[in-house]
Amino acid sequence: MIDTARPAHRPEPRDGDDRVRAAAPPAEPLDVAARRRRRAGRRRSAVADLLGILAWVSAAVAVTLWLASPGSHAVSGIGGWLTDAGIVAGLVATDLVLVMLVLAARVPLIDRTFGQDNAIAVHRSLGKPVLYLLLAHGALLTLGYGASAHTGPIAETIALFSTPDMPLAYLGLGLFLAVVVSSLVAVRRRLPYEAWHVIHLLSYAAVLVALPHMLSVGSVLAHGTWQRVYWIAAYVLALGLIALYRFALPVVVTFRHRIRVVGVEPIAPGVVSIHLAGRDLDRLGARGGQYGVWRFWTARTWWHAHPVSFSAVPGRDRARITVRDLGAGSARLGRITPGAFVSLEGPYGLFTSRARTAPSLALVASGIGITPVRALLEDTDLRPGEATVLLRGSDADQQYLWHEVADLAATTGSRLYAMVGHRARSRETWMTEEDVRRGVTLRSVFPDLLRSDLYVCGPRAWSDLVVRDARLAGVPEHQIHQERFES
Amino acid sequence: MRARVVAGGVVSSIAVLVIGWQLGGQPAVTAPAQQSTTSGSGTTGTGTGTSGSGSTGTSGSGSTGTSGSGSTGTGTSGNAAGGSSASGTFAGDTAQTQYGPVQVQITVANGKITDVTALQLTDQGGRSVQISQQAAPILRQEALQAQSAQIQSVSGATYTSEGYTTSLQSAIDKAGL
Repeated sequence: MIDTARPAHRPEPRDGDDRVRAAAPPAEPLDVAARRRRRAGRRRSAVADLLGILAWVSAAVAVTLWLASPGSHAVSGIGGWLTDAGIVAGLVATDLVLVMLVLAARVPLIDRTFGQDNAIAVHRSLGKPVLYLLLAHGALLTLGYGASAHTGPIAETIALFSTPDMPLAYLGLGLFLAVVVSSLVAVRRRLPYEAWHVIHLLSYAAVLVALPHMLSVGSVLAHGTWQRVYWIAAYVLALGLIALYRFALPVVVTFRHRIRVVGVEPIAPGVVSIHLAGRDLDRLGARGGQYGVWRFWTARTWWHAHPVSFSAVPGRDRARITVRDLGAGSARLGRITPGAFVSLEGPYGLFTSRARTAPSLALVASGIGITPVRALLEDTDLRPGEATVLLRGSDADQQYLWHEVADLAATTGSRLYAMVGHRARSRETWMTEEDVRRGVTLRSVFPDLLRSDLYVCGPRAWSDLVVRDARLAGVPEHQIHQERFES
Repeated sequence: MRARVVAGGVVSSIAVLVIGWQLGGQPAVTAPAQQSTTSGSGTTGTGTGTSGSGSTGTSGSGSTGTSGSGSTGTGTSGNAAGGSSASGTFAGDTAQTQYGPVQVQITVANGKITDVTALQLTDQGGRSVQISQQAAPILRQEALQAQSAQIQSVSGATYTSEGYTTSLQSAIDKAGL
């Protein structure tokens, strides 16, 4: 391990540099700061609730499009009911697809309010219900039309295929099916990330090819209705947000900051710190604890985008990320040569001091999960005793950047604990066997736990157990911050 | 998801749905306004009957619609008792439906409807073209059998059926059957 007591790349502190502030405790009294954070937290959760309600309402509006269309109050016959149920299923499904697009669009408001990882978790939870609704849409309409025309489902399907725009709609349904099936946990685990990603990009095509049949075959969105205007506007909004924040903004950021690799430093077996140089990196607006989606433009790595946390707060012309070789793609990162051009999407994430709502700070990190925790510690205004850090590693090799954290803890007057050893086998726990026996708990490590913001970052299964213990100990939900390392 | 979001979402969704319910559900077909009776004067050979020109009317359940564009029928309509000796073709008024206008024309020989031709059928949306093409032959058959507009509507083609019978009735009125 290379001993870097301090990140070697950091420029000399300038006036107003975070480093300087970290050294001098903030003038704001603790209780005032806590009140300010609680207010900000309440505001954020109000916005979050509002956005959630908006998603509900958008689904209700989708149903309303049908309700407000003529004939919806006079549905008759089994065929009629099947048909109209199918129409409603299609409208709600499409609305939810648009909600999913917005959730995946990395809209700054959503990232600041929920964190992109939570947005993606919601996005993911919608995938299967939407697919069921779409399949129901197709099945109900086929049966409904068939019942009205006294034809069987197969004959009706053939008839539908000869209706204009319907072949495209079936194509869209097939694409959605492929996208959702490829995202099922069991399937996704077996697919290379790139294969999954390419299939996932097909969802844009699916959304687009599904549109013509809604406008031409259905009667709810017929010419000259307000329903048609609303529907097209919803499409424009969702796809516009994707185009803007998913594609245009990263290009602008990449070309504005012109980031290049200046050095690759192995810090442990399989772990490298990548030192980056660029223009005005402090104006990226990266907060400690945030991550970016990085792409290294070399012949062997350009096709793989890596979501990686900043392992230090970016300075004006330098930044650093630290990566462990989790997959084939990240293993190649160790062989990147200096000078490689880097594109960046981000920074994203709510694993920052901005998310705090409580007076004290409790940080728990394991393995490579240390990187955002280290940057967060660096980027937080701390009074002596305000923060407590618990580092967790299974052996001596896993102590990446621990000395840097120790250094930061010393500078800020934070308590630092380490727990080294494999997880206990005797029960489901995030601790070592020895510490379980000694009676260590979250409360014993963090005496002020209930008045602390708990930040947890590490392998998913491990950090879930920490969070479970925190909930059992009675830590309110808004004080628990968990970084999920998933795209 | 937090309870507040679910509660707020459910409440506001219900509000939106209620508003939607209030907005919607206008009847499918606006019936043509009462026509002034056909003229079809003369007792012999050929005559030209012109029905009342377009009129605007408000139908029963609160929706406004324009219907009954002027139509002409050629033929004779005997004004003898029963009026059963009419011959010729008579176009019905155009009935407006949500899915487009519907207009039919009847061919009458000696007071008997011998053919019903659809001049216009619902055509808004690919699906509704499909529906009206399925429904039209059935409706025609029913009309020929019933010799009146008192026919069953085709299920799944409610709007087409209603428009069809409405236009058919006005054509029959014009023929004086």
